[in-house]
Amino acid sequence: MQTVAPTPSGLALGVRRSELLLTQRIITSAALDKLVAVWAKSAAVYAPVKVKGWTEYRRISSLAEADLTQVNAKLSARGLLFPQSETMFRFETGRPDKVEETATPEAQVVLGVRPCDAAGIAVLDKFFSGQGETDTYYRRRREKTTLVGLPCSTPDETCFCTAVGGAPAGTRGLDLLLTDLGGSYVAEPLTERGEAVVKELPEATAAELTKKKETSDKATAAITQRIDTARLKELLDSGNSHPVWGDLSLACVNCGACTFVCPTCHCFDIVDETRKGRGARLRVWDTCQFCLYSQHASGHNPRQTAVSRFRNRAMDKFKYTVDMIGEVSCVGCGRCIRECPAGIDIRETVDVLLKQLSKSDAMQTAECKMQKAK
Amino acid sequence: MSREDQLRRRAKELLTKEGVVMVIGYRAGKRPGTATPAFVTRPEDADVLIFDDRCGTNLAAYLPRVKHRGKIAIVAKGCDSRSVVALLKEKQVDRGGLVILGVGCDGVKEQGRLSDSCTTCIHPNPVICDEMIGEKVAERTPAPDPLDDFERLSPDERWQALMTDVSRCIRCYACRQVCPNCYCPTCFVDTNSPQWVGKTTAGSDNMMFHLMRAMHMAGRCVECGSCSRGCPMGIDLMRFNRKVAKVVKERFGAVAGLNPEELPALAAFDPSDKQEFIR
Repeated sequence: MQTVAPTPSGLALGVRRSELLLTQRIITSAALDKLVAVWAKSAAVYAPVKVKGWTEYRRISSLAEADLTQVNAKLSARGLLFPQSETMFRFETGRPDKVEETATPEAQVVLGVRPCDAAGIAVLDKFFSGQGETDTYYRRRREKTTLVGLPCSTPDETCFCTAVGGAPAGTRGLDLLLTDLGGSYVAEPLTERGEAVVKELPEATAAELTKKKETSDKATAAITQRIDTARLKELLDSGNSHPVWGDLSLACVNCGACTFVCPTCHCFDIVDETRKGRGARLRVWDTCQFCLYSQHASGHNPRQTAVSRFRNRAMDKFKYTVDMIGEVSCVGCGRCIRECPAGIDIRETVDVLLKQLSKSDAMQTAECKMQKAK
Repeated sequence: MSREDQLRRRAKELLTKEGVVMVIGYRAGKRPGTATPAFVTRPEDADVLIFDDRCGTNLAAYLPRVKHRGKIAIVAKGCDSRSVVALLKEKQVDRGGLVILGVGCDGVKEQGRLSDSCTTCIHPNPVICDEMIGEKVAERTPAPDPLDDFERLSPDERWQALMTDVSRCIRCYACRQVCPNCYCPTCFVDTNSPQWVGKTTAGSDNMMFHLMRAMHMAGRCVECGSCSRGCPMGIDLMRFNRKVAKVVKERFGAVAGLNPEELPALAAFDPSDKQEFIR
């Protein structure tokens, strides 16, 4: 199967300055606090905030409200660019002249984005604005968003970013990366937008840069999971009807938790809500795990069974999106593992798939050879 | 012989000699401290089976999905066994097609802490089973019902507390999918003509879903707590279920999942049922 080369997003984002080595700078916690206050005057600032026993992205007005110590927020930052429920426009029934566009969202800064989630946004960029089609609703938010990342120093047991091309200190998708050195951060600008934020700050010293590297090396070494994604893709290409899917899907209860917590899932449904002649067209997250998702108007449902819906998710992450955008759409954040109510672990699913599909692949190859020999 | 050894040995026997096609139990999850449902169909795989305080998922939820395969054996804690009773009452499973392997349960742990629903459990041992695996466990003194504190709040405070909680809902329906009572082929939220419940995560849409689901649980929920444990957003779904169970008990003297011969409270009519609300 031909894989499509990754296409530039086409978004008018801060231009990535990977060709230039931008100067890394140092910012104290106090200076960052001031910066947050400045941002908050002209933009909505979001950061992970402690809620119950975990963090969630919430709007903040000062750094003190944020909790940047947790492994990752309960839900990824995707909802800030692609909200779970979004009004597209309002209308009056039977009055095509009475269509009211929703206001363009305000500028936003997202602070404390983990590299896996930022990579997830880079994947969303491809889905929502690659391939010649641009999603207006996503794009207008994305263009006004600055992503300030925070590398992971102590990954969770469920984290596996390095197995799918990421890194605990990865910079993909980010405008600025802040590495915590305790009391101060090394600020690495990655785009012009990021550079504009930090250009006035003092340069980081060689010692500070060494400390930064040590932090990221330690985190990288903590993740031991490996996935041969190229081999997996090859096996999935011909593995659609393998009986292993039946076994793997038994424990799956077919809820949508894994897809709703996933940083790269991007399916939505469009519904009109009308009352007394006035209505709104909304788009809401949808998931391939729900029966209604694939229900046709005729009543036919090509993905009627639980096993086909389970298979679709794995296929989508490791095969379909490779065909579509040239990369797997799993960034290894581990949320689906942490939140699955049945304790299903995508790493285990992948292990079983690699093993079982390899086995039947080897058998097929052997059969082919035998037939040829005859 | 340890309880686990006994479980594995019985699973092997059931699969080889007693016509069972699948044993539903638990195996250790890849993530330390977790367990995941196991569906053992070959005797040689029975050694994956475990049972301890990691094993929270209510396995009865899987019965309606696999019953067509033939005779099924299921590992059942107190609450799972009550769900089996509920399914028998509602004619969703056939008693003859089941082998219930009862296990006593000292409560399920979540991140080292006793699961909320287990604190008030009064049926740690199976209420129905074909054989016990290991010994029955001692009855525990249930902790005070957390509903008591909630009911002391004013109506406004209660509404506010519920609204705050359900506004966090992401409508993944994990609560519904892990629930043994939720076996409907088409749920009221999975229709779009008519659209009974709005699809957004606005507080009112979320509340509508949760209240409707709670009503459907009345007289049927065995308070296993799978919904609360399964909820990725940590919503206290058991608060709804405890409330409807309490009302059903007060009004009809009925407790779900104890007697397979008894009709579910809301499926039965008795002339002595309270009817003062009809005026």
